[in-house]
Amino acid sequence: MLAQNSDFDYVRQACLAAMSIHATNKDVSICLITDESVPTKYKHLFDHIVEIPWGDHAKDEDWKISNRWKIYHAIPYNETAVIDTDMLILEDISSWFDFLRNYDLFYTSNVYTYRGELVDDNYYRKAFKKYNLPNLYSGLHWFKKSDLAHEFYTWLEMITNNWEQFYKSAGSGKKFALHPSMDVSAAVACKIMDIEHLITNNKVKNPTFTHMKPKIQGWDVNFAYRWQDRVGVYLDSDMRLKIGNHQQSGIFHYTEKDFLNINLMKKYEKYLGI
Amino acid sequence: MTKGVLLFASNNKSVDYVKQATFLAKRIRKYMDLPTSIVTDTDIESDVFDYVIHSNDMTKNSTNKRYADGDFSDKTLKFNNKNRASAYELTPYDSTIVMDTDYIISNDLLNNCFVQQKDLLLYKDATHVGMHRIVPEFEKISDTSVDFYWATVIFFRKTDENKMFFDLIKHIEENYIHYRNMYQFKTSVYRNDFAFSIAVHIMNGYQTGNFVGSLPGTKFYATDRDVAVDIKDDEIKILVQKNKRLGEYTAVNLKGSNCHVMNKFSLERIIDQ
Repeated sequence: MLAQNSDFDYVRQACLAAMSIHATNKDVSICLITDESVPTKYKHLFDHIVEIPWGDHAKDEDWKISNRWKIYHAIPYNETAVIDTDMLILEDISSWFDFLRNYDLFYTSNVYTYRGELVDDNYYRKAFKKYNLPNLYSGLHWFKKSDLAHEFYTWLEMITNNWEQFYKSAGSGKKFALHPSMDVSAAVACKIMDIEHLITNNKVKNPTFTHMKPKIQGWDVNFAYRWQDRVGVYLDSDMRLKIGNHQQSGIFHYTEKDFLNINLMKKYEKYLGI
Repeated sequence: MTKGVLLFASNNKSVDYVKQATFLAKRIRKYMDLPTSIVTDTDIESDVFDYVIHSNDMTKNSTNKRYADGDFSDKTLKFNNKNRASAYELTPYDSTIVMDTDYIISNDLLNNCFVQQKDLLLYKDATHVGMHRIVPEFEKISDTSVDFYWATVIFFRKTDENKMFFDLIKHIEENYIHYRNMYQFKTSVYRNDFAFSIAVHIMNGYQTGNFVGSLPGTKFYATDRDVAVDIKDDEIKILVQKNKRLGEYTAVNLKGSNCHVMNKFSLERIIDQ
C-alpha cells in the first residue's frame, strides 16, 4: 500500500486495511510506503514501513497519485500484491497468490457490485470504451520483480509525469481527462506495450474486488448520492461484512472516505486485541 | 417415486380459483399427462383431481389486493395466498410441481423438471408476452435488494434441504413486516414471489449462488393490465396493453407456450367460453 495524507488521513485507512489483512491472512507480509508518521499503536501492523523514494512528486496535488509509480522500486518484496488503502480484505485470499504467480504483472479487469454482479461501467469509464483502452483496475494489481514489470513501471513513470501528452495521444488527439488517474495511466502503458493478453485475464473471477462507486451498483435511481445513503453497513463481531442484504467476501473497495469511522477501527482493534 | 402437480385454490367473492384450478388440471393431464392435487377450503366433487386436500388455513391473515381487468376496471378483493409454504407438508407426491391456478399449460416442457439434478427449481427470468417490456419490479424485489424469483411455478423434491427452505418461507411469512423493512420493498401485501426470493437469497448464504436451479423453458406472462380474450387448444390470444397509452392494446397470439395470465377476470371469461 502507498499512503500520503492530504486533507484526509490515508495512513489511517492503510491501518484499517492492514488490520483487515491480519484478521484474514495471517501469513502475509505487509509493507506501507509513506512519508507520513504511522501512529505507534498501529506500527506493528506493518512488516515494513518504507519512505517514498526520490522526494515527493505529489506535494502540490490534492489527489496524490504522482508517486504511485515508485511502488515497484520501493517495495522490499520479489512478489507483491498492491491494494488501495480504502479496501478491506474479508477472507483468506492465499489461493489468489497461487494464481497470480503465473504472471509477472497482473491487473484485474473484472470488478463486481456489492450484489456480486459483474460491473459494466458505462458511467465512470466512458473514455476506456471510447478510446479502446484496456479495462484495468489498479486498485488491485500484482507484480513480480521482473523485466516486464520493470518496463511497465518505467512507462508508468513517464506517463504519470507527462500525463496530458500521453492521454491526448491515447484519446486520438482529444483531451478526455481533467486529472490523471492510475487506472487510465496503467491502461495507456498497457496499450503502448501491447501486453493486455499478458497482464490480465477476464475469464477468471478472482482476483477481483467489490467496487462501491455508487453509479455502477445497478440501481435505477439516477441522482448524485453516496452508496452509504442507500444501503446499510453491518459488520459483526467476527468481522463479517454485510452491505444491504448481501454478505461480502474477497476484497471490498469502499471508496467513500467516511466509511472509515471510529467504530469500525475499534471493532477491528478489539478483534485483533490491539 | 411419485410425481404430480399441486394447486392451491381459495375463492374470494369475485374470483373463482377452484374453477381456474379445474381448468388447469385438465390441461396438465392433456399436455403433461400428470395427476393434479388441490389444496382448498371449498368442497369439491370432481374427478379431475388426484387428491382434494381440505385446508382450513386458506384465509388465515389474508390481505386485500387490487385486481385489475385491463386499464379501466379493477376490484379490491381478499387475497388468500399465505399457504404456499405448506406445499412441502401437504403434497402427496415425492416430486411436486406447484403452480398458480392462473398458469396456462400448453406444452409438456415442465416434465423435464423430473429429470433435473437440482431438487428445487424456480423461474428467475420471465418474458412478457409483449416481448419488449422490461419490468424492474420483476428483476429485483427492490432497487437495492435481492434477485426476484417467481413463485408461480415451483418444482421440488422432498429433501431435508427443501424442508428447511419451506420452513424458512413460513418464517418469512410470519415475520413479513420485518423482512419488508430488511429487504426494502414498499408493498405490505404478502407476495409469495418476495418470500421465495428472500428465502433463496438466505439459503445461498446472503449471496448470489446456486441453491436453486432454473425451471425448463420460458415463462411467459401477461399482467392484469393485459386482457386474455380467447383460448383454443394450445393457442391463447391476449390483448397486450400498449406502454403508456391508456386503453390501447396490441393483439398477441401465443401458441404452444405456457403463460401466466395475471388478469383473473379475463381468464375466467375465456374458461367460460
